[in-house]
Amino acid sequence: MKSRYSTPRPRFAAHAGAARTSALLLTLALPAGLILYAAAAPAHRPSARKSAAKAVKSAKVPKPAAAAPFSASMGPLIQKYCIGCHTAPNAAAGLALDSFKDSAGVLKEQELWQRVQKNVDSRHMPPASAPQPTDLERHAMSAWIDQMFKVASCDLRDPGRVTIRRLNRQEYNNTVRDLCGVDIHPADKFPSDDVGYGFDNIGDVLSLSPLLMEKYLAAAELVARAAVIAPEDSALAVTYDPAKFADSIGGTVLPTGGRQQTGDGEMSFQMEAARDGDYNFSISAAQDEAGPDPAHMIVRIDGEQIMKFDVRNRVRNPRAYTLPVRLKAGTHKVGIAYDNDFFDQNAPAGKRDRNLYVFSVEAHGPPGLPVTLPASHRRIVFVQPDPSAPDVAARKIMGEFARRAYRRPVTPAEVQRLVSYVGLARKQGESFERGIQLGMEAVLVNPNFLFRMELDSHPNDPGSHRVLGGYELATRLSYFLWSSMPDDELFRLAANGTLKDPAVLAAQVKRMLKDPRAHSLADNFAGQWLQLRNLATVSPDRARFPDFDDTLRAAMKSETEMFFEAIVQEDRSILDFIDGKFTYLNEPLARHYGIEGVTGEKFRRVVLTGSQRSGILTQASVLTVTSNPTRTSPVKRGKWVLEQMLADPPPPPPPNVPTLPDDKKGPVEGTLRHRLEEHRKNPICASCHMRMDPLGFGLENFDAVGRWRTQDGGSDIDSSGVLPSGQSFKGPGELKQILRTKKTQFATCLAQKLLTYGLGRGLESYDKCVIADVVKTTARSDYRFSALITAIVESDPFRKRRGDGGTL
Amino acid sequence: MTEPKIARRTFLRGAGTVMALPLLEAMVPLTALAQSVKKEKPLRMAFFFVPNGIHMPAWTPEADGTLTKLPSILEPLEKVKSSLTVMTGLTQHNAFALGDGGGDHARSTAAFLTGCHPRKTDGADIKAGISADQLAAQRIGSRTRFPSLELGCERGGQNGNCDSGYSCAYSSNIAWRAENQPVAKEIDPRLVFERLFGTGDERESVETRHKRETYQQSILDFVLEDASKLKRQLGVHDQTKLDEYFTGVREIEQRLTSLERGQLVSKLPGGTKPTGVPSDFGEHLRLLEDMLLLAFQTDQTRIATFMIANDGSNRAYNAIGVPEGHHDMSHHGHDPVKQEKVRQINRFHMTQFAYFLEKMQGIKELDGTMLDNSMIVYGAGISDGDRHNHDDLPVLLAGRGGGAIKAGRHVTYPNNTPMTNLFLSMLDRMGVHAETLGDSTGRLQQLI
Repeated sequence: MKSRYSTPRPRFAAHAGAARTSALLLTLALPAGLILYAAAAPAHRPSARKSAAKAVKSAKVPKPAAAAPFSASMGPLIQKYCIGCHTAPNAAAGLALDSFKDSAGVLKEQELWQRVQKNVDSRHMPPASAPQPTDLERHAMSAWIDQMFKVASCDLRDPGRVTIRRLNRQEYNNTVRDLCGVDIHPADKFPSDDVGYGFDNIGDVLSLSPLLMEKYLAAAELVARAAVIAPEDSALAVTYDPAKFADSIGGTVLPTGGRQQTGDGEMSFQMEAARDGDYNFSISAAQDEAGPDPAHMIVRIDGEQIMKFDVRNRVRNPRAYTLPVRLKAGTHKVGIAYDNDFFDQNAPAGKRDRNLYVFSVEAHGPPGLPVTLPASHRRIVFVQPDPSAPDVAARKIMGEFARRAYRRPVTPAEVQRLVSYVGLARKQGESFERGIQLGMEAVLVNPNFLFRMELDSHPNDPGSHRVLGGYELATRLSYFLWSSMPDDELFRLAANGTLKDPAVLAAQVKRMLKDPRAHSLADNFAGQWLQLRNLATVSPDRARFPDFDDTLRAAMKSETEMFFEAIVQEDRSILDFIDGKFTYLNEPLARHYGIEGVTGEKFRRVVLTGSQRSGILTQASVLTVTSNPTRTSPVKRGKWVLEQMLADPPPPPPPNVPTLPDDKKGPVEGTLRHRLEEHRKNPICASCHMRMDPLGFGLENFDAVGRWRTQDGGSDIDSSGVLPSGQSFKGPGELKQILRTKKTQFATCLAQKLLTYGLGRGLESYDKCVIADVVKTTARSDYRFSALITAIVESDPFRKRRGDGGTL
Repeated sequence: MTEPKIARRTFLRGAGTVMALPLLEAMVPLTALAQSVKKEKPLRMAFFFVPNGIHMPAWTPEADGTLTKLPSILEPLEKVKSSLTVMTGLTQHNAFALGDGGGDHARSTAAFLTGCHPRKTDGADIKAGISADQLAAQRIGSRTRFPSLELGCERGGQNGNCDSGYSCAYSSNIAWRAENQPVAKEIDPRLVFERLFGTGDERESVETRHKRETYQQSILDFVLEDASKLKRQLGVHDQTKLDEYFTGVREIEQRLTSLERGQLVSKLPGGTKPTGVPSDFGEHLRLLEDMLLLAFQTDQTRIATFMIANDGSNRAYNAIGVPEGHHDMSHHGHDPVKQEKVRQINRFHMTQFAYFLEKMQGIKELDGTMLDNSMIVYGAGISDGDRHNHDDLPVLLAGRGGGAIKAGRHVTYPNNTPMTNLFLSMLDRMGVHAETLGDSTGRLQQLI
């Protein structure tokens, strides 16, 4: 019988494997709470246009906290672009903008106007079918609303409010691993977590269905029973495989499991005896026959020989040799050897060399008790109960467990209720350990564990701001950077109140980013930001891309994750994401890229000089997830750059995709590029596609699985383009040079994504100042990754919270 | 029969209540309980959803009235033709933009069973409405072990193409427990099986099982108490999350109590336990359909939703020679080559659906077949994938609703007839009376 804990896995080895298949989506940086509507062309009046121009002028030099009068600025723009649909009594979306006549009226409706701003900023409004404001006009509208509500002055900071966050699948797996010491990924069986704002850790979107509740209950039992061993369901025997005896001297591992000893030396392993008592070993062994004597197998415990067996049987007929041993609780070294090696060159074949084989060692514990206890058990059940007063130990055990699970101090009353499970188990005739398991289950399905609670005394007063407590801050930090619970050091700093100290906080960020658990940033943050998770489901056409297989699929993902981790671990500039001139390749991927000199499955760092590849944009992962199964999609790639790198999402396509006039005569002929250029002749399509398509054209030298190419369907690739700004480029290298100059835009984009991910909520208009500050601070530190993270962690929305002001 | 084929705990976890005893011949009630079997005729209701619209010229039958020659996409249903009602003219008005701009895939999914216009948001304050299946589950779901089952082949939001400005919650769920609570679906056939029949530890004794249930009950009481204590310190949005928690715990409690009320032994009606998600999409669909069939057969639920794929899915169908993405092809721009590929995908889905219906038809019940005693809707929230229109939707109803539906016909309704009217009529037949659902204007005529 194989023990489930005889070969403990390294603590973090597999944590990245958790639920890689979760959701992901294209996201807009700013959400649309309410949608304005303007399907018909609005009325054009010369006077309105004139004042609109004036408004633009005044917005060019914004004076903080002094907005221009409504009638001279916002009014005319609204008139020009919005009133066509948003007029009472049949205002689109119930939003009548014609009722606003002056600034005083606007001031009374802050929420409404901030929704207007969101929609204008995100280009959801006016809809693509209606005349579009110029970028300058858009900016003017947004800036005016900022000034109106003094947001731009940044002196009224609103930290916002995060809805309590349920642990998502990755967080659940990691937390259980760190809390209980078992790496068993129960959440892989949970239903997917829904995605909002591009991430699957958003409080408002993470719902809890009865199906999930059912799974929580089952998982709690599974985890409690894996972590803590109760006599009534413990495995009574443990089997050790000599192939895994790391401490052995001499001998070789057999391909079928087991070990061959060919002379001096000893194979040995460490065993953990749970309790004092009589143990029984059963050793499956055999010999190679040579010379007059059988192999003398010696068994040593803690270096002392306790038994010698004559092993006469041969390999094809292994036999079990058993011996009883009395052991004290604790670690023991068990060694097996033979002391009569024999070799005779001149003996007949098959009789020359005497060797000993050991195929397995099975240990049976004292009756009714497990042989050994896993580390998880010893950590959780860290005191042994006094049979006359088991509650004393139970109180210590449950108090410590609940404190770590709830990520806060627990009250004696809370602990006492958990301790009652020891009594309940006893009443059912079961052990102390069973009672502990039950208490653990009650904790693991408890809302205090499943949700990251941040409790307020005035939960529904939006005016009530407060700084987070140490435990709350430690929890936000650990889930941000590790997707898991705080470790002992964070708990210690939370308890002594020093975590809030900026210097301590900054030092912790650095420490945490170096920790192996920070891999979850690559797994969960980068996986969603860069949409790497979509790699799992892309299905490039096998006929066109015969080289694409699961090995390559995995290699693509690894490359980008390792690249991301290099930037984190080496604390590089975030601008390296745009054109960092190195990457990580193994042979299959290097071959795919046409890069020579990389052999083997192992990844290694490769410097990219003179290559068309650099940064994330030209990595096969990103190029593949932004393609269709049979061809590239310059539109998707362009959209990806705008959304994931430049914080400048294009508005959504109009609801009824207009049919191209040519289509009535049949499909448009020509290259993809040609067809897209035709598409752009339609003015309704042009305004957005002129922003997306050129970015995608610049990447056309990479096919739908990211291979370099110079031709497509017999025609030469034209990878030149002109951006709406007028900047032109030829090929991916020059495109990236242009992107590299957009430092602020890229840093803003990454800051928005990280803040959304770190907070678990969508960003609001009042977060603008925070983002601007974070970007400035990051720029001052040469855009180093840790500077960006530190600035986010030190920001108000991360360190503070307020009451809920919303209604449902 | 002295020795049940499934271990005691296994069947108990899989058992319905006495009230809801199934009519399966394979089901053998324990002698002691056999007398209490009610000859109730369970009626089932399920909703199958397909993404990205349908190639309508190959869907709509030529004439109204009795179905004769089926159009190409419906052809796989030939063997169950007499149980079909093909409906033309039904509409989900609230899936249209109505001033909200792009996002038809998300809207059509969220509106499909709710008839409500989803609020455009990427996260905060998601809102659609209660769906037809969940309304029934809340009213009559307690008659079976699971009020409803939610199945689908694709995880939420995984294709990255969740619609502009809409949270992925919209495009990956058709079942909505409340206006702000989409119901997650199960995609792994093995996990569905384990949910229905347990993990099958045959060695577990009655005593052990009894202890386990005592413990579970105690743990649930414990956490409910803790949850109640939190309430005061939570804001309104936090409250909704905690309410979901309460609902979940109570539903499990209910199930534990119902277990105490009745016990029965069921032989698994053939087939082996699935091992996970197969790589072949058709097999995946059929396995999930098998699980739904098992759930119906053992009367563990009577209400289900089944998302063949999430809307906007860009899945490639290599197995039928369509390596391009479904969504990509659905924007066919009147290109006949692309339209043909869409038709092939539509027909492929229908072939898998036919597998399900034929199996239902093969299961005899006290009164006719299981298909006779069911109402299975199959449809899309988008009509033409290129235009993204939500009127003239492709909808068909399979089954006779226990004799309350005159099947074997094609019925054309005036275009823009709310699809929710059909749902109200189905709910009536399930014994669930609702005045309105979403944008409904009344009951759907001509069903009988």
